[in-house]
Amino acid sequence: MRKMGFALSLFREYLANYIKTKLTYRADFWVEVFSDLMFSAMNLIFIFVVFTHTPALGDWTEAEVVFVYGYFMIPYGIFSTFMNLWNFSDRYITKGEMDRILTRPAGSLTQVMLENVDPPSLLGSLVGLGIMAAAWAKLGLPLHWYDPLVLIVMVLGSVLIYMGLYTALAAISFYSDAPTGIAPLMYNIQNYGRYPIQIYNKGIRFLLTWLLPFAFVGVYPASFFLDRHHDRVMAWLTPVMGVIFFALGLYVWNRGVKRYRGAGS
Amino acid sequence: MLAIDVHQLRKQFKVQKNREGLKGALLDLFKREHTEVTAVKDISFQIPQGEICGYIGENGAGKSTTIKMLTGILVPTSGRLLVNGYVPYKEREQFVRGIGVVFGQRSQLWWDIGVIESFRLLRKVYRVDEADFKRRLDELVETLQLGDLLNRPVRKLSLGQRMRCELVAALLHQPSILFLDEPTIGLDIVVKTEIREFLKKLNREHGTTILLTTHDLQDIEALCSRVIMLDDGRIIYDGGLEELKERWGKGREVQFQFTDPIPLAAVSALTSGLDVRWTKENEVTAKVWIPRELNVSDVLSRVVGSSAEISDIKIFETNTDEIVREIYRTGSPEAKEAVRG
Repeated sequence: MRKMGFALSLFREYLANYIKTKLTYRADFWVEVFSDLMFSAMNLIFIFVVFTHTPALGDWTEAEVVFVYGYFMIPYGIFSTFMNLWNFSDRYITKGEMDRILTRPAGSLTQVMLENVDPPSLLGSLVGLGIMAAAWAKLGLPLHWYDPLVLIVMVLGSVLIYMGLYTALAAISFYSDAPTGIAPLMYNIQNYGRYPIQIYNKGIRFLLTWLLPFAFVGVYPASFFLDRHHDRVMAWLTPVMGVIFFALGLYVWNRGVKRYRGAGS
Repeated sequence: MLAIDVHQLRKQFKVQKNREGLKGALLDLFKREHTEVTAVKDISFQIPQGEICGYIGENGAGKSTTIKMLTGILVPTSGRLLVNGYVPYKEREQFVRGIGVVFGQRSQLWWDIGVIESFRLLRKVYRVDEADFKRRLDELVETLQLGDLLNRPVRKLSLGQRMRCELVAALLHQPSILFLDEPTIGLDIVVKTEIREFLKKLNREHGTTILLTTHDLQDIEALCSRVIMLDDGRIIYDGGLEELKERWGKGREVQFQFTDPIPLAAVSALTSGLDVRWTKENEVTAKVWIPRELNVSDVLSRVVGSSAEISDIKIFETNTDEIVREIYRTGSPEAKEAVRG
């Protein structure tokens, strides 16, 4: 717990430095925000286009699919803010910046995460929340007093799943010195998670539920709030899966760091 | 108390063998072959607190690998090591709070923002008290004359300015051991001297133990009371710099320039009976090599006292560079000793 508090106080400092850096490159900042939002808009438009051709996907209506997508954007935005690890292997392993990380008295994963924080991604979460609220109204769902609290728990669970998976993915670079092709593969599979899983075949459903549980960052937790597709068991599995996968990710990372071999002299 | 205590330390790396050609590359795809490379081979040494120790060796001798094990970056394959009372890779976060690290080739500072911002962040990371931080920073800024650089972004600093800032960054939390990996690489002579003076002062006033690797032997001569020399992962010399010079020094050379051409046989005849070696540079110049045991003046008096007229005399003292080059070339000082004996 004390470690957590320390990490949070560091977050403030890193954030301040992030802002100072970005203020020197303002154009860059706005381009980034703009491209993030464009990307989300494209995905949403894709859903609308699909539904101009068909009234329902499986037995999911447009508003329901949009609802799930809106939910997905919330944890995804938070995840992208804190885990911008796309260049981890190149920057920290190949170029050896991990050396510097390891000579400082804070968790190695914490430092790597903080050095790459990307707050503009949080805008995506806000947009997602808006989309979800609009779909909520359109579906005429009831709003219970506990719904916001459940949403927070679900989002946390989903974020943990993402973090666990991508921590493990980044840690693979400790084991293999050549950057692998796994990252794009993961990225593609992850995209399946934001649509209702019931529209896929059995194999993909199994994969998305238990192996790379991206369905817990979308349809399962969102189903808690939907009346037609309400699935209480799978929904409440979200935080459980989150804790399990995050612990797995940390385990792989901590073992990987011990195998770090540095770069050059 | 010992600052660094190393016993039988070893580090092995697995290195992929890449087979030749397209066929080899395809074979590699399915079955990789590995070779084990031992970068550090069972070395042992102890460094007491407050010592400045130089760690030298050719490229690839294992210097950086050792430093990285001592600073907790790499996990050793086998052996015991204790730095500041900690096993570095085991209690990493606790341990690194007591050490400072400067890698000459790598920056600890944020590239785009003022240096002072990096220092502030490091204060937080090392949990240094605000008042301590201020006092320490003022002191460092004054001795290293960084006053007007503090608000400049790192990318606008010269290498010398950056290096001084790196030192400050590594010392803000008052570490008791400072590791420096090639701290003077690429710097001009003025900055080099400044940094050496600063390190000496740090060692004198705060008792900081310093371990530095370098290729610049003048760093060693200026700073170190002790040298550890590494070759191919093994320690080939561990001891004082003076002793190194004395035991493996090549002796001295005296160059005579005569007014008239003189044959080699004639000059050799002048010193007959003495264990010296003459070589001829050109018609009028000859060089004599005198071993350490012999007095230079003995040789000088014989030559000067002869009938040959001398227009110039130069005495060359062996410098450390030459000794070290010689040791690298022959592999180990012991081997060289054997050849000479």
